[in-house]
Formats: sequence, structure tokens, C-alpha cells
Amino acid sequence: MRRSKPLALVAGAALLTLAACGGSGGGTPKGGETRTYKGEEGGTKDPKAVAPAADVPGAKTGGTITVYLPGDPGPADLDPTDGWSVTGNSIQQALTSRSLTQYLRNADGSITLVPDLATDLGTHNSDYTEWKFTIRDGVKWEDGSPITADQVAWGLCRSMDSDTFPSGPGTEYSQTYFYGAGKYKGPYTEKDPNCTKWGGTSVDGNTITIKMAKPFPDMDYWGAFMAMGPSPLGKASTPPDYGQKIMSNGPYKVESFRAEEELTLVKNDQWDPSTDPARHQYADKFIFKFNQDQAKVDQIMLSDNSESQTAVSAALGSNNYDKANSQLGNRLVQQSSQCTSFLAPDYNKTTLNVRKAIAYAYPYEDAWLAGGEVPGVTRVPANSIMPPGMAGKKEYFVDGEQFTYNPDKAKELLSQEGYGDSKPYPITMVYYELDPLAVAVQKQITKGFEESGFKVTAIPVQESPYNIWLDPSNKINKKLNLRGVNWCSDWPSGLTMIPPLTRTGAAYNTAQFSEKSMDDEMSSITTKPLTDQADAWGALDQEMETKYFPIIPTAFRNDLFVFGSKIGNGVGDGSIGAPYYKGLFVNQ
Amino acid sequence: MAQSAPETLGPLSEEAIPEDPNSSKAKEITGKSPLQIAFGRLRRDKIAVVCATVVFLFILIATFAGPICAIFNVNTDTVLASTRINILGGGLPKPEFGPPVGPFTWAHPFGVAPNNGDDNLAYFVYGARTSLTISTVATIVAAFLGISLGLVAGFLGGIVDRIISFFVDLFLTIPFLLAALSIAPILSQRFATSPNYSKIQFIDLICVLAFFGWMGLARLIRGEVLSLREREFVQAARVLGMPTSRILLKELLPNLVAPIVVAISLLLPAFVTAEAGLAYLGIGVTEVPSWGHTILLGVPFFETYPLYLYEPLIGIVALVLALNLLGDAIRDALDPKTRR
Repeated sequence: MRRSKPLALVAGAALLTLAACGGSGGGTPKGGETRTYKGEEGGTKDPKAVAPAADVPGAKTGGTITVYLPGDPGPADLDPTDGWSVTGNSIQQALTSRSLTQYLRNADGSITLVPDLATDLGTHNSDYTEWKFTIRDGVKWEDGSPITADQVAWGLCRSMDSDTFPSGPGTEYSQTYFYGAGKYKGPYTEKDPNCTKWGGTSVDGNTITIKMAKPFPDMDYWGAFMAMGPSPLGKASTPPDYGQKIMSNGPYKVESFRAEEELTLVKNDQWDPSTDPARHQYADKFIFKFNQDQAKVDQIMLSDNSESQTAVSAALGSNNYDKANSQLGNRLVQQSSQCTSFLAPDYNKTTLNVRKAIAYAYPYEDAWLAGGEVPGVTRVPANSIMPPGMAGKKEYFVDGEQFTYNPDKAKELLSQEGYGDSKPYPITMVYYELDPLAVAVQKQITKGFEESGFKVTAIPVQESPYNIWLDPSNKINKKLNLRGVNWCSDWPSGLTMIPPLTRTGAAYNTAQFSEKSMDDEMSSITTKPLTDQADAWGALDQEMETKYFPIIPTAFRNDLFVFGSKIGNGVGDGSIGAPYYKGLFVNQ
Repeated sequence: MAQSAPETLGPLSEEAIPEDPNSSKAKEITGKSPLQIAFGRLRRDKIAVVCATVVFLFILIATFAGPICAIFNVNTDTVLASTRINILGGGLPKPEFGPPVGPFTWAHPFGVAPNNGDDNLAYFVYGARTSLTISTVATIVAAFLGISLGLVAGFLGGIVDRIISFFVDLFLTIPFLLAALSIAPILSQRFATSPNYSKIQFIDLICVLAFFGWMGLARLIRGEVLSLREREFVQAARVLGMPTSRILLKELLPNLVAPIVVAISLLLPAFVTAEAGLAYLGIGVTEVPSWGHTILLGVPFFETYPLYLYEPLIGIVALVLALNLLGDAIRDALDPKTRR
């Protein structure tokens, strides 16, 4: 597991998890939503959800909740437009930064999309190229000033700026679907501080109209991202300073923030529960501690001392899983995270047979064991890009059966390409040297590959591998022919899994996959009728993987959360793969 | 009246009878050099003997790591974790591989590592080799640097002394840990793609340790030289026209052996500790087995699999304690003013 070290660099996992998860919780969701809601299970929408939100049974106000985030450095800044990570978005979207829509977790674990700052889930024209949202009355910033539709329009404009926010979600969604996608470079890059040059939004009183460049039926889901929320106008929200000191509009506001160390939130008395259908304001204070030592946090949570009774841990070390399972009962929560881990062989340097050989050569269980995961619990074998529970996901196998570690089959496939024992296929990859678990995982991978007819050159790096993989001009990156990516769905649609990873030129397309027919297919799916889209994504997933196999899914990921004995309503949030912060309270 | 042998009442003169210098009685009371006296005292000191044995044992283990592993049929090769680790056992090894789940087994006398199944005995002996090699080489380099700079600074005085003292003070102010933590990633990044990466890491760590360990010895030697150079034999040598280098090597250095030996014997454990500490922090040598690295991996298992943690821990503690006590004993033995 990752450890915190004094003065040393972050010891993160070799593959860090990215992107807000938008999948549905526990049960099998039915996607392909229409605008009427007739008791569908799983991911549903309720545009008429009432505020204030129904009280959690037994909830009490007061107390301080401490959340430990082992091995997780957390967000580098709090700017809502920049947030595209599970940790940062799960905290802010629940507690500090409101947007057009949000998710509500029902008592049975299912997730419902409900309005947030908007009065409903938006209205659209017949081909989804224009959306209207009306901002509620009575919503205010932490300093008492009202939130206006102009500020929301300004927030949307900021999300178009990919150069200023290169790792923000706007790079994938705003710059693909909003009006001016590909042409308007954003207010900061185009020196347009009042966003007059864009034309993507128009404001009339409280109503904001958004124009799309392409049909975008998932705008209501995209509206749940804090990037689709308001920002103070003008200089008050200039990056990067705004990211260190944001204005909150949720039930909590930021008292102090030290990146990679601690975030303290206190009650925001300007938040009005009668404007919010999903959030609560039970605890007095939240303290988020990043970069914690996993072993230390496990001991704290298992000891049930006074410190840990009001604490939450966002991860559990695998060596303590048995003990926690028997000792903690339902205070240990296993939450499917709607995330898939992938190996991404360089599409231009490898052939289909080589990629299949890699899938047979990867030592799945050994890598999970060495990395401190619990095989079958936190990592389950994966067969497709779309994670389990996503509407439209098909149960197929690229090679007829689930890939497992099979060195003989790998050698057979390599020999078809002219490689063999005397001529092993060379693989160059990177690993994160500062994390001893990442080092151990790399040793297992090297061993598995070398038994299967490959020759591995593993380059140790001192920073997150993503810094290398996502930078096309990086010297080491140019040498690599095997990269990786962990991806979580942003909302329950294949639209958030397949294009961000496989579209030509997508930021997280670490395989550098590019096939025009696939790109065209992706664009055409959004023009299909809404009820057909989920299946279309499932079919594309199967077609792409069976025909081209650009990325190799190695595992579906589950998370383990531990809640202290005095924490009430300790459950997981299936929409994002984090603890459900909105409903937590302290049993006094 | 018969005459017996002439009586002798003793020597005819006051001079001492020249004794046969080769007789054993003569050897007993022949003047001994300070080092020989010290060595004799050391031999009689029980603690020193025990510590020396322990250190010697570790040196044997480190030197013969390969044959030891061959005898027990273990090695440091990576194995596929699932062959040795229980899938749902919290990372603990399967019962047939020894404690904590199963009984002791000769196939893996020290057990296997949790999570990845590496053999503990192999990692222990090669870890000993890593620790001892790095600290010995670093000590030699630091000693060489410290002694030569101290000699030159002390003897020549003037501007040379001031320059060297400036560097001593400069290096003393740089906090070692911060420097190590910042230099390591820079060097690692620079050489990450090189095929000699593990050797470079090794050399890099030795340099970092040596460059932050020479100052104490330099100051010590400089102080001793400052007092020695005013002694008559040095002044006589200068007057006679002996070149400086000969004075340094032939006159001064032999008189400095005592403090040098003491300082070296205390540098060694300091470097062993430093290397293990850096490995625990995740920097230092990561490509070869290291006790500090094993301790880092073992900390989460202190409750469920304590043996894994204690093996390298006891190794480090025993080695460093033995070296420290030995150094102490050497210092006591060399100091003519202490009595046992």
C-alpha cells in the first residue's frame, strides 16, 4: 500500500484512479432513460425532487467527522472547473460546490439524478442541441451574495478553456459537445474576460440556454459535475489563485486547504436546505486528511478508540481485510466503483496478436496480491471496457473466454508474429519507484511477461506515471510501448467510458489508438434515439475490442470503506465510488 | 684448602647486564607500541570480543551470501505471488511455506514475504551484503576525504585552512536527510533509462553518504594536527628540510591512527543506519535487496506476521549495536588514561 513519508514525495499507487464515477450503485441499473420515470431500478432521474431533502432516519446535528484518505494525495487545487478526480469531486460536489444537477442516494443504494441549482433537470429541444436550465431563487454564495444565471454561464465558459485547465473534464465534454467546440479556446486563452466571444450560452433573467455543437442527450448528467456550476465573475475567479481559495455555495465552506495534506470544511450558514433536494448539514465540521499511511489508518479504524469513532477511511489495507470483515460488520462497506483498470499497448507499435498475447501474459492475481489488493473483492477480472452494472454492457470475451494468466497461449500468439524463445518480444514500460508496492507489482509483471516470451525493460520513474503517459513530448514516453490507465465512468453511460479512452486524440487515450471508423461510430451513437444508445455503446465496446483490441481491461475495481462506530449512515456513493458524504452524521 | 669458584657479589660495574634480547623474559617487557597495548586490552575486554565476533559473523554472511543461499536452496528471484500467497488470506503465505500460518520448514528457513512471496533468508543475506558494502565503501571514501583534507588544513594553515574549513562548515549546515531526499530523485530521473541503473543507484547512495560524513573526521584530524605540528619532532623535520608530504605521511599520520580508528569504527554503524533509514523512506537502493526496504514492507504486518518484520530489524539492530559497542571499546582501549 502507499505510505506517507516525511519530506518525501507522494507515494501514490502506480495507477491512480481518475475521473468522477457516474455509474449507478449496487443493483443493475437500466440506462437508456426516457424522460418519464416509472419505477425503473438503478440509475433513475427525478426532475421533480423536492427540497429540503428527506431527513436521514436517526440523524443528529453536530460533531466533527474526520476522513482519512490513505495513499491519496487529493486534488492539487479546488477550482471546480479543474476537478476530474474521484477524491476531489466526491468531496466538493457533495459538500461545497453546487452545480446544475446532482445525485441522490436512496435508502436501497440506488442513485437518482435530481436537480441542484436548477429547478429541474433541464429542458431540451427535439434533437438535444439546445438545453434550458432555470436557476432557483434563494441560492447564495458563502458571503450572502446571490447566485445568478450569469455566474453559471461564466462557469460553463471557463470549462471551454482546455489550455488553462488541461486536466479538467471540460476537455472531454465541453470541448466536444458545446457550441464552439474545437474553435473557441476559452476566456483565458482567448483573452476574453467577459466571455463575449463564445456565444454558447445566453442568459434571460434566471434562465440559461446552452447551445450544443452536436446532439448531447446527457447534458443533465454532465450538469452534475461541479464544472457545470457558477464561478464568481471577473477577477475573483482567476486561475490559479481561485483554486486555492474558492467561494463555496454548498452546506459547507472551506476553512483551510493545504494541498496533499488537509482540507477543513465548516458549516456554511448561507446554504438554505429548502433549495437543495439532496444535501444535508448534519456535522459541524469535516476534516479531510490526504496522503495518510495505510497501516496507520487501518490501526486507527480497527482500534475503535475515541479518535476513530467519528472517522471514516476511504481505503483498507488488504492485510487487514479478514480482521476488518469479521470485526466491523456493516461498518466495512464494499462499494463497486464503476471503474476499470486497463493496460494500453501502443497501438502503432503492436499488432492484434501481440496485444492478445499481452492479455494472456499479464499475471492478474499475482499483480493484485503483490499490490496489496484482495483478489475477488477489490479487484475482479474484467472482460469489457464498460464496467459491470452499466446499461448496455455486453457479456462477451475477446478471445472466447475470460483472459487469465496463460504463458503458453501467449507464446503461441507471439510465435505467429515471428517471436519466440530465442527472440522475445521487447516491452518497455514505466513504474512508480517510490511506492514499494508498485515496485513489487512491477516485479510480478516482469516475471509473468518474461515467462510468456516477452522481454521487459521497466523504467523506474519518480512521479506519477500519468505525467509521463499523458505528455506526448516526454522523452521516456516516446520509448514506451506499453502504458496503462484506470478509468471510472463519469455517469452511467458508455459515452463516458469509450470515447475518453479510445477517441483519436483524447487526453487519456494512452494507447494512442486511432481508427476513423470507430471515431465515426462514436459520433453517430449520440444522434441515435436515446433508448437505443446504451445498447449501441455496448455493441461498440464489443466490436472495438474484438476487432482491434486497443486496450486490455485487467480488472473491475471495488472500494472498501471503513466507518467509525459513531458515524451514522455510513454508506458508499455508487455514483462516484466514494463514501456518501452528503448523508453522514455523528451519533452523539 | 680447596678453592671453590670465585665468589661473585654482582656486577663489577654499575652498568646493567645486557640481557639476551631474544629471551622470552625480554620480550615480555620490551616496549610495545600504543596500538599493540590497545589491542591487548581489547582482547581482554569481553564485550569487545563478543561484538567483534558478531561483526565478523555478519561479514561472513555478507561475503558468502551466494553459497549460503545455495546450501538452503533459496534465491532472490521473483516468483509469481499466487504460487506462495493465499488469495484470500490477507496477504499471508500459504501454510506449506512456513510461519505465520504453517510450521517451520527447511525449504524456507526464514519464511517467505507476504504479498509477493520472496524468500526471506535470501533477502536477509543479500540485504546484509548491501548494507555492509555500502557502509564500508562509504566509510573508506569518507575517511579518505576527511583525513586528507584534515591533514592539509591543519598543517598548512592560512588560506588553505580557511577554505577547507569553509567547506566543512558548509557541508555541516546542509541537513543530510533533506539533501538525500532531494538528490535521490534527481539522479534517479537522470539515469532511469540506463541499463546500469542499479549500479548507478549504489554509487549514488555511497557518494551521498560519503559527502555528508567526512566532515567530522576532517575536523578531528585538523584539531589533532594543529596541536601536533608545534611538537619538536615536527619542527625538527621541517628544519631538516623534509618535504611536506613526507611530514604528513611519515610523522603526523602514525600519531593520528588512534583517533582515525575510533572515528572509522563509529562511522560504519552510522552509515548502516543511514542506508536502512533511507531505504525505509523509499529512496536509496531499490533495485537490490535491502533491510530497510524489507522493514518498510513489513510494518503493516507487525501484528499478523511479526517474524517478517523482526528478521531485518534484528539484523540491523545487532549489526549496528555490535559496531557501536566495538567502536566504544576501541576508543577505551586506545585511550591511555582509562583503566579497567
